[in-house]
Amino acid sequence: MTVASQVKQCVASLKNVEATLNHFAIQSQDREAANIFKDACLTTRRIVVDLERRVGELEFEEPQYKGF
Amino acid sequence: MPVMPGWLEVVVRSGIAVILLLFISRSVIRKSLAQVSYFEFISGIVLGVILALGSINLAIPIAFPLLGLLVWGISPYLIGWLTIKSARFRHVVYGRGIPVIKDGKILEDNLKKERYSSDELLKQLRSKNVFQVADVEFAVLETSGDISVLLKKDYQPLTPKDMSLSTAPIKEPETVVMDGKILDEPLATVGLNRNWLELELEKIGVAIENVYLGQVDSYGQLTVDLFDDKLKVPAPQEKPLLLATIKKCQADLEIFALETNNEAAKQMYTKHAQQIEDMLKKVTPLLR
Repeated sequence: MTVASQVKQCVASLKNVEATLNHFAIQSQDREAANIFKDACLTTRRIVVDLERRVGELEFEEPQYKGF
Repeated sequence: MPVMPGWLEVVVRSGIAVILLLFISRSVIRKSLAQVSYFEFISGIVLGVILALGSINLAIPIAFPLLGLLVWGISPYLIGWLTIKSARFRHVVYGRGIPVIKDGKILEDNLKKERYSSDELLKQLRSKNVFQVADVEFAVLETSGDISVLLKKDYQPLTPKDMSLSTAPIKEPETVVMDGKILDEPLATVGLNRNWLELELEKIGVAIENVYLGQVDSYGQLTVDLFDDKLKVPAPQEKPLLLATIKKCQADLEIFALETNNEAAKQMYTKHAQQIEDMLKKVTPLLR
């Protein structure tokens, strides 16, 4: 497995985390808990954006592995 | 007026008595029988006796038991009202709690005043799971005859606060399925609908007819109890799964940081790994 595909896998997992956190943020009846989930969701969002930029760089460096 | 035959009069009187009893017992304050004061207990008995006598003793004119009922029914009500209005009246009627153990020492004078024997004291303490008087900081003999016990701090059960653990806030769960029927109102109060419920049930592979009881916790997770107890229902997996995924991502980022030769990327990975770790600290109590 190339580095790029490993990072891509991590991005996918983080997106899953983001979605689940969002789900909990909406479903939580407790305001405080909902806020914690929301904050965590935003943090994950920022990390996903940065990692996706890194994936772009990696694909630029190793274009032969592009797409997977 | 034609005279009623005796048996018919008993039936009529008893019928009236049953209806009156229903009304009276509805208006009585919400207390369990163990909690009522001696006065309330006796007036309840008196009411019962009046009703019983009035319904079968035909020699008594019907107005007499009704009058007696009126006085005995209203006076506990009146006294109850007065006790709420005046603290002094309350203490006269119901008495007040008397400390029997203070600073870990038994107050023998108070016990003697209440004619409470040492054996009785020990028995009451044992019923509170206290076998050694030395463990007690403070105890009050309540007006009901019970003893309320405050244990010394080091004998009290451990709480999350003592361990300075952070815990997830909790709200009351809502019951959304009862006897295989969906309850729409509770579903709506937690902001969910039938579609969601059907989807959740499909996820765990259970038909709605088979659900005896279904509850949604404050994080929107459904737990069910089935009519068929041989079927196994999976516990909600979302939370542990999420926690595991976050941990895995954090570890991944740390590995990337170690493997890369690009200095900027290394810093970016390390920063994010740190951020996820901070996030984990906040989220873990909620997901456990």
